[in-house]
Amino acid sequence: MGDLTHVTVNFETSHLIFPTLIAIVLVILGLAILITNRRQIAGAGPYWRGVLDRMDKVRFLGTIALTVIYFMLMVPVGDTWPNTGLGFLICSIPYVFLSGVLFLRHRAPRDLLPVAISALVAPTLVWWLFTDLFALTLP
Amino acid sequence: MEVLHVITPLFVSLIVGGTFVGIVFGAIPGMTATMAVAVCLPLTYSLGLENGLALLLGLYVGGISGGLVPAILLGIPGTPSSITTCFDGYPMCQRGDGEKALRIGIISSLVGGLISLAVLYFFAPTLADFAIQFSYVEKFLIILFALTVMAALSSDMLIGIFSGFLGLLVSLIGTYGIESGGNGEIRLIPPGLEYWLESGFALLPVLIGLFGLAAILEEAEIGVPESQSARNVRLGAGTGFSLSVFRGQIGNLIRSSGIGTFVGILPGVGGSAASILSYTATKALSSHPETFGKGEPAGVIASESGNNGLTGGALVPLMSLGIPGDSTTALLIGAFTLQGIQVGPLFIGQNPVTWDAIIVAMLIANLAMFAMMYFAIRYIARVVSVPKPILFPIILMMCVIGAYTINYGIMFDVWSLLIFGLFGWLAQKLRLEIAPFIIGFILGPSAEIYFVKSLESFGDLTIFFTKSWIAVVLWILIAASVAGSVLLARKTRRAREGR
Repeated sequence: MGDLTHVTVNFETSHLIFPTLIAIVLVILGLAILITNRRQIAGAGPYWRGVLDRMDKVRFLGTIALTVIYFMLMVPVGDTWPNTGLGFLICSIPYVFLSGVLFLRHRAPRDLLPVAISALVAPTLVWWLFTDLFALTLP
Repeated sequence: MEVLHVITPLFVSLIVGGTFVGIVFGAIPGMTATMAVAVCLPLTYSLGLENGLALLLGLYVGGISGGLVPAILLGIPGTPSSITTCFDGYPMCQRGDGEKALRIGIISSLVGGLISLAVLYFFAPTLADFAIQFSYVEKFLIILFALTVMAALSSDMLIGIFSGFLGLLVSLIGTYGIESGGNGEIRLIPPGLEYWLESGFALLPVLIGLFGLAAILEEAEIGVPESQSARNVRLGAGTGFSLSVFRGQIGNLIRSSGIGTFVGILPGVGGSAASILSYTATKALSSHPETFGKGEPAGVIASESGNNGLTGGALVPLMSLGIPGDSTTALLIGAFTLQGIQVGPLFIGQNPVTWDAIIVAMLIANLAMFAMMYFAIRYIARVVSVPKPILFPIILMMCVIGAYTINYGIMFDVWSLLIFGLFGWLAQKLRLEIAPFIIGFILGPSAEIYFVKSLESFGDLTIFFTKSWIAVVLWILIAASVAGSVLLARKTRRAREGR
């Protein structure tokens, strides 16, 4: 028994001990989930089709697309005016406006006005707060 | 009384302001207390620890309390923890007793919050004193216990524990830190990402992604339903509110607050469990259980004192063991990390002023919540109609700030936010449990050190069972939580098959 439970830890490879152990536990748990939930897993196709059918694809995928573009543009725009946080401000205004418009149900001018105002005011206020008041780095 | 130096006008304003914003977040369905804390975390960078905590604790108390407003007025829980408030609060509102139900809920919230605060104040230091004698072996077992308790209360124990271990694995990505006794080697990093992931994923982008971005993606998926128009929200003249409604309910208040606090103390178990257990217990003990679900004030009392009981309770394991009691307190760890402070058994003893400030902040937050909600309930009720197309983009922007500023301007942290936002959405679809995942992620690096160092020191696996009587007790608790969960699952399955 003593030999079975005895463990010698090699310091050179000690970074792999815990990840290996956790991975083994995850594989065992994964297999147990596969066995106990086999019926649900077998019905995964219709489940995902249902999710996709019910999904508001324009708003969901639109949010992701706008966010990716926002993240991609922030640094290049910011590099034009380094250490001013203007990359954040210039990209945030259209991002807040466009995602607000995306979320709107009715897009009459009357509905767009509050979204436009918040798109101008909120990023500007936040930009001022973080760069001037808190002196934090923004892109 | 050094704490008096901390209680400045700014400190109080931050609590009151935080409580107000928290109530707004709690009152809007789809937004939670956790999201409020996640979004406002970057504001604490420049505030210092006590002031930062003042803001976050206000948000926490306000966020949990605000959930009762839409639960009663619309029958939609504003936060998961107010789900049982809908059962009786909404029927009360439908028969014209909306304002009465709100006031009952608000008073119950205050009582729950204060009772749990008292428990926090007296119990956390005792638990911390006890935990100081823990060696790495016991500390590792405590984390294992936290993961199994959470898994046991998940809808599917296997998936719950899988989620916790997945969080552990993700937390190990990067370097096995030399500063904590590791060998400085990297592991689990996909090829080509070594530069970015050398230190692993930063905590805050992960948290903000899972609780901020993921929640908005879920709303976008269902088309961002419009908020209720203010015209549709009717409080009703009803029968009017008087304190006599609490006659005969003192036992309910104390029991439900106690249950909520206890659930809070259990690591990683969230507010919905607190209110569901309080509600179920009150219904089971009632002499007229048939009135529950049809507008029974005792149901609102149980639910709201239960979920606010959680607030103080959830801080107990955080302050005494460094283990978050729920997902919102997990975010509070982020605030401590920002200030370079590690919470654990030594925290209260070494930081008595901060500890007192936390208690004072919780007290003021509860009183502010009560004052704002009780006396301005007609205005607060309108919050449920705040338009999401204005709020959500601002929240998304705040998420970006939080992620970007955490390490003073690393764009990879912003991409991590997106990765974990998408993961949070996907996890919800795959029925993975986010709370155990987060606790696993937060505690993973400590768990590794405790486990590997224990093996290095003792060279034998049996040490985890034989180190001390505390280890034995922890194993009994771990086994009991697993066994309890298996029995519960079997009972539920039989009941379902019987139907």
